[in-house]
Amino acid sequence: MTAFDTLIADERRRQRRGLWRAGGYAAIVATASVVLLGLSGWFITAAAVAGLAGTIAAQGFNYMLPSAGIRLLAILRTAGRYGERLASHDAAFGALARIRPALFLGLARGPSDHALALTQGEATARIVQDVAVVEAQFVRLSAVPGMIAALASGMVLCAFGGWRPAVALVLCLAGLLTFATLLARRLEAPGREVQRATGALKEAFAGVADAAAELRCYGVEAQAMAAVDANSRRLAEAQRAQACAAGWFEFVQAVALGMAGLATLLLAAPSGAPIAALCALAAVMTIDGAGPVLRSLAQRSSEREAVARLNDLLPDITEEGEQTACIVASSIGLLGTHLPPGTRVALVGASGTGKTTLVERLLGLRTVEPGTAFINGHDVATIPLAVRRATFGWAPQDAALLAGTIRDTLALGNPLSDDAVMWKALVDVALADVIEALPNGLDSWIGEHGVRLSGGERRRLALARAYLAPAPWLLLDEPTEGLDADTERRVAGRLSARLARTGQGLIMVSHRPAMVALCDRRIAVAPASDAIVAQPTDTLPQPRRYSRD
Amino acid sequence: MSSIAKERAQASRAYLKAAVADGGGVRTSTSLLLLDSVAAIGFAAGLAGGVVAVPHGVGAMLPWVLLAGVSASGRGACAMLAAHVGAGGAYRAKTWLRRRIVEAALHRAPGSDATTGTLMSAAVDEVDAIDGYVARFLPARMAASIAPLIVLAATAVASPIAAAILVATFFPFLAAMILAGGAAADASRRQFVALARLSGLFADRIGALPVVLAFRAEGREAAALGDASEDLARRTMQVLRIAFLSSGALEFFAALSVALVAVYAGFNLLGLLPFPVPETLDLGRAFFVLALAPEFYAPMRRLASAYHDRQAAETAAERLADVESAKAAPPPAVPVWSGVAPTIRFDSVSIRYDGQDCAAVSDLSFEAYPGMIVALIGPSGSGKSSLLNLLLGIAPLSEGCITICTPSPLPEREGPGVGRLPHYPSSAAKIGQPTPNPSLSGRGEDAVLDLAEIGSIAPIAAWMGQSPLILAGTIGSNIALADPTASAERIAEVARVAGLSPMLLARGGLGAVIDARGSGLSGGERRRIALARALLKPAPVLLLDEPTAHIDADSEARLIEAIARACVRRTTIIATHSARLAAIADVVIDLGERP
Repeated sequence: MTAFDTLIADERRRQRRGLWRAGGYAAIVATASVVLLGLSGWFITAAAVAGLAGTIAAQGFNYMLPSAGIRLLAILRTAGRYGERLASHDAAFGALARIRPALFLGLARGPSDHALALTQGEATARIVQDVAVVEAQFVRLSAVPGMIAALASGMVLCAFGGWRPAVALVLCLAGLLTFATLLARRLEAPGREVQRATGALKEAFAGVADAAAELRCYGVEAQAMAAVDANSRRLAEAQRAQACAAGWFEFVQAVALGMAGLATLLLAAPSGAPIAALCALAAVMTIDGAGPVLRSLAQRSSEREAVARLNDLLPDITEEGEQTACIVASSIGLLGTHLPPGTRVALVGASGTGKTTLVERLLGLRTVEPGTAFINGHDVATIPLAVRRATFGWAPQDAALLAGTIRDTLALGNPLSDDAVMWKALVDVALADVIEALPNGLDSWIGEHGVRLSGGERRRLALARAYLAPAPWLLLDEPTEGLDADTERRVAGRLSARLARTGQGLIMVSHRPAMVALCDRRIAVAPASDAIVAQPTDTLPQPRRYSRD
Repeated sequence: MSSIAKERAQASRAYLKAAVADGGGVRTSTSLLLLDSVAAIGFAAGLAGGVVAVPHGVGAMLPWVLLAGVSASGRGACAMLAAHVGAGGAYRAKTWLRRRIVEAALHRAPGSDATTGTLMSAAVDEVDAIDGYVARFLPARMAASIAPLIVLAATAVASPIAAAILVATFFPFLAAMILAGGAAADASRRQFVALARLSGLFADRIGALPVVLAFRAEGREAAALGDASEDLARRTMQVLRIAFLSSGALEFFAALSVALVAVYAGFNLLGLLPFPVPETLDLGRAFFVLALAPEFYAPMRRLASAYHDRQAAETAAERLADVESAKAAPPPAVPVWSGVAPTIRFDSVSIRYDGQDCAAVSDLSFEAYPGMIVALIGPSGSGKSSLLNLLLGIAPLSEGCITICTPSPLPEREGPGVGRLPHYPSSAAKIGQPTPNPSLSGRGEDAVLDLAEIGSIAPIAAWMGQSPLILAGTIGSNIALADPTASAERIAEVARVAGLSPMLLARGGLGAVIDARGSGLSGGERRRIALARALLKPAPVLLLDEPTAHIDADSEARLIEAIARACVRRTTIIATHSARLAAIADVVIDLGERP
């Protein structure tokens, strides 16, 4: 059992009361439908027979009970359907509200190469769309109890006409399910082809969209569009094949419905017209009650594919949970240089030599070769990720702010910091006056729909976030890139004062003289020391990341 | 709902209507659904006839049973064919719409903030979202307005009172739908938005995963996402409680119509109706109207189950309309170019993309002369590629001015640094020395063009980038993209100059077939194909964007030699990280060191 299967099974267990309720309502709906039509058929036919027999027979006919029953069943069916919908959706949403975060956590705790190699679009598509497919299947879990109840009540009603109609009904339903299962299997190939064609289309589109400049120069837009169009047609064709295969479900159900109705009518004929009518309409509604199961079967292949992809997403091996990693002071060994606690060091070197890569390796965001770096004399390759990450307060090169408020952003660095500490950090990055001017101060919303910070402000906010992290070392990647000289000078001065106060060490990637001047020493990251920099950041062959580029 | 939201919804509905206008198939599909209702009438008649014939034995029942059996199969066939036809319509609508979106994406206006990722999800996923709208919703909506009338007419023939009962249940149903349905549609639209916001939240956190991991906040963030999800689930359930009321109303009136018809027909047959009616039913007609009663609401139930398709399509349409509206207008003026290497002058140039606070490039001035190689260096994001894209009209010129000075192609102007193209003595003639040329009116004087007016220098530029375009075909046809008229010998020559010989030997020549994914071409080989293209096109300007990224040092050294040969007597601008490549340049401009 894979990690995702376990997750689903757990949620099913947790939601079992809701699922049972949904199943119960589904059974009520199915039974009410079958009995409603069967009873109506019997009532009309029996009434006709009694009416023909004369006024006395007609007045002797007990019409109160059946007519009241018919009205009751109509209400029962409606109420049952409403209850079923609510209960099944409630269970599904309840389960899914936990599955999505669990997937996120699984992704985050898994091997970082795996998680970070996924493009944002892809990971989101899986967590949102594939989980929605699983959710729909959750909602359909009540289909089987409904079908069983329909069959049971259908058989009971058909039994009034003897055993033959009842057996015929069972055979019709069994035949229908057999055919539907075969059809579901036939849908698997088109389903896979749709997946493959979607992948090919995305790849073709990305290839062409990335080559916009080349297309312009050579005037080959038409050819490129033709190439994308070929893939587009392939995908549409696969989807058409899938839809056509799914259309057969409707056909087999309609045929089974007719067969069941007519076979029971003929077989129950010896019991008289009212019973035959009862059997025929009950049989028709029994087959109708299998509809949700058929729809579920039609979705089975896409559900399996979604689950398979989610299985891939959730690695089986996960890092042990968060450890309390409290490091008071630590020395670092980096590229053969020993850095005692509190040292300030600048990583310098031409662009593309792998400084950012080195930073990301320290943080365990990329796999690290043994011998690259040491914390307190231990090779980082052997140190748990939690300890490595607790050692550094990181300000990444792209500010990488999360959507949320300023307070949310800063709390990422240290969830325990209070307002005073946050303001102090904002002062140290020369941002306090900017934030004070915002209408909601620390609670101002940043990101797409809120106050928009400029690039330099984002960078400084990310820097403040790094300052707040209770880590013995600050790890700053181009912290003042894009700042004007005046702001940079203020940031540099306050950083120096801050370091003197906290005793933290500093490892900084920067080209800027004002920043490099803060440092006691420099370490040159050169392409020559190949273990670290053979493949600089932007030359590392990695999957395209579409969304944040 | 706010008026802005309403306007947006209307706009996306209008766009959707136009987008699927020639999707076709909807009418055929609708007709099939109507035939389905006709077959339902046949089935009800067959069943009724069969029940009436029960006392007369199986022999008398058989014709009726046959009618019912054929009708049932007919219903199945109609439903299946409707699915087929609907799928065909969806096929046409999707491929047609996707062509438009791809075209808009490839011709997007400079400075549009769309990334490859958002464009890709528009062209693939959002176009797919109209599938159900075309295949199911549109036929279901058309059928829902006609099919109940067919059923009603058939019912009226057998029993006008039963038909009246159906109509009588329909009006309260309509009222309930207007009351609950409007609220439900509004609620479910909000729901859709809330789900989109949750997706956005996930996308944001996954995008920022490195930061979340580095601050060991994965547990906290997962908990926050969990809260957001639970909150959404709770609110969704509140919405659904209302939304399901409208489907409950549908369900209730469908069941009520069956029950009322059954009770009425029964009492009529018994002759016990407490009020006088102008009709006396017999079993056949009574059973017929009973069996047909559920069919009255069936088309509306089908429509209700396709409602989600419409919502998905409308949401997608909003974004698709955005992509199409970002399509660039054709350039205002198309000059006729000469084949002579020009001087490109950048004067205080700034590039600022939509939605960005910082300019990608600000206030940059330099000149690239004929025969000269200019290397742009600087860290990622310093605007190297943007400057090259600017020349091709892909990046926006926000401030400043770029002029392209083409020396008059007179023989006396030829000399060191200014010249005709390499390997192609007659190139000027080949790309067509224009006569008369409006932009080169004064022959013998330099022609000066303003990039802002002409939009792009693509016609006189050759390009080599880090992700070369590879189309399915042969290696030869991929090189020939740069000049479809080139002879086979010429293609073989540029392939050799670009250093493709070892690869061609291994793969079996220029005719070797490659698929769209490149058939395992290495990064270096792809780059060489791009270089061969750049050599093939007799273009006086050569633009290279990270031509040596992603390849190992040895390959890089050999590639640089080939690039150096390609630059001869052209105006060349190279954006690069590579110090070795920058070393072949006459001028190096460091975009990172600028104040």
